[in-house]
Amino acid sequence: MKRRGFIKKATAATAGAFSAPYILPSGRLFAATGTRVVDHVVFCLFAGGVRNLESVHKADGNLMPNTLLGNESISSDIAAGVTPLGQVGGQRLQEMGTLYKEFRFAQGPTGHFSGHSSVMTGVYNLADINIRQRPATPTIFEYYRKHTNPTANATNAWWVSNALGPYPALNYSSHPDYGALYGANYIQPASIISQAGYDSLGNPKTFTQNQHDLVGEMRGFFDNNFSSQTLAGDAGITNAISDNPAVQQFLLDSFQEAVAGQYTNPWGLGGMSGDMFNVFFAEKVIERFQPELLVVNMQDVDVCHTNFTSYANNLMRADYAMAHLWQTIQNTPGMANNTIMIALPEHGRNAQPNTVVDPYGRYALDHTNDEMSREIFCLVAGPSGKVVQNQLISQVQGESIDVVPTIAKILGFYDEISGMLTGQPLNAAVV
Amino acid sequence: MKVSKHILLLLALLTAGAFSGCQKEKNIIYDVNDVNVNRPEGNKDYVKSLAEFISIAYTDLFGQNISQSALQTLSVPYSGFGDLKLIEDMIIKNFLNSPSAIVPSNTDMRANVDQFIMETYQKFFNRNPNEFELWHMKNLIEENADITPELVYYATMTSNEYRYY
Repeated sequence: MKRRGFIKKATAATAGAFSAPYILPSGRLFAATGTRVVDHVVFCLFAGGVRNLESVHKADGNLMPNTLLGNESISSDIAAGVTPLGQVGGQRLQEMGTLYKEFRFAQGPTGHFSGHSSVMTGVYNLADINIRQRPATPTIFEYYRKHTNPTANATNAWWVSNALGPYPALNYSSHPDYGALYGANYIQPASIISQAGYDSLGNPKTFTQNQHDLVGEMRGFFDNNFSSQTLAGDAGITNAISDNPAVQQFLLDSFQEAVAGQYTNPWGLGGMSGDMFNVFFAEKVIERFQPELLVVNMQDVDVCHTNFTSYANNLMRADYAMAHLWQTIQNTPGMANNTIMIALPEHGRNAQPNTVVDPYGRYALDHTNDEMSREIFCLVAGPSGKVVQNQLISQVQGESIDVVPTIAKILGFYDEISGMLTGQPLNAAVV
Repeated sequence: MKVSKHILLLLALLTAGAFSGCQKEKNIIYDVNDVNVNRPEGNKDYVKSLAEFISIAYTDLFGQNISQSALQTLSVPYSGFGDLKLIEDMIIKNFLNSPSAIVPSNTDMRANVDQFIMETYQKFFNRNPNEFELWHMKNLIEENADITPELVYYATMTSNEYRYY
């Protein structure tokens, strides 16, 4: 090639490199990440099946006094079975954001997993659900990790679940373009922070830093030799090697705190319900990792299948736990005034009761796809100037599948995934 | 006349040569047998299940089968956390911290490094190391006094190859 030709081609190639979008090793091609509203989202699935009648309509009094304004007294016939827990903070959560009173879980079976899956993927499950399989469409965690620039580590995305069964599968999908590589750290605290968990993991052999480095060298050698046979995502999500010690230490510290009795009554309420413990552990994750996206759920209200009054009581506990979660966020450097919390039930409950009567004479309620079991609320709370404060939207507005686009908008990647979603960001709430 | 004699002679020779060249090709067999080429690390296509990983690791380190109750106990954290490799890492470190774990002494390892490496590969990878692997691991062990048999076991049992069969 002549010198002049070489210079001409080289110049063109250099100019092209600067003007072309950057291509990641993963093959992802992106423009600059969009503007964020805040840097953290905590999504609280106020789940288990909560009817609007008992929550935002307060038909039996204000069973969510930390969330909802008003001092309506508890219905006298069930009052003895409902224990008030008091106020966590000075303000109600409703005042710190926008409350959609008539949100809808519009389509798909009103089952717990179906509801969880729909709200975490932004897609209604209209076909039969195979609870042994991961969702076919990406979860919010995968959207977040893949479309955040630079790609977010797994320690930035957590799914804290109160149950095993199919729920672990919600930390990533089987979508070929997403999957385990972009999944969230899944944890079910009630099982892992237990005697069995401690016996299995709580007393590890310790090595010096130099020995850890040597292990890394040997393991790297073994893995390189075996790389042609290793399947991507074969071990679920994997934390970055540099994050592994911190995650392991987090688990070990949790065991130590549990053994020291610090998990027995940490909120000074005389004990912790399953919901409370799950939220409490989510708070531990928040304090340790300050994740950019954390999803935590509660489901104790589902006792309503057999006991309405316990449902009302657990609704009050869930309300307390959610307010405590909010308070922890506000006390965590980095997340205070930089976090939006979204809360909603996965579905409601039927208008008509079943035949089971509790000790207070109330009939129990199932959730079998009737109109009322699709009626839910949605709370979006956050800093002033980021979330519209003290706003009550009473008309029918918003659906479960709008949560994923809303989180995407808050964290600045909605434009990149909007074509894959049918829901819309909750623009009435987020500034 | 002399020229035509020569031409006839040449034609006769060519014809004879042509017929002699039409012999059947001999089937020559060289003294080399067919060889199937396999991966040095063997064909391991399947990821061990939760129960398989735990019970095989237990047997490898404690020399006996795991009890049903111990398997159940160890399965709990496995199902409660998403990063399975991290949990496996912690399980192996807990196994290695048990006084019942059967691990060669450092003295034994350093007395015959070759043998230690061969036995370690056989025990955990179900194969012999190739020459390069043997040379590399031997060098690493001999050059680093901090490498103990436990450390080698830990690295081996948390490698990707150990997760497959």
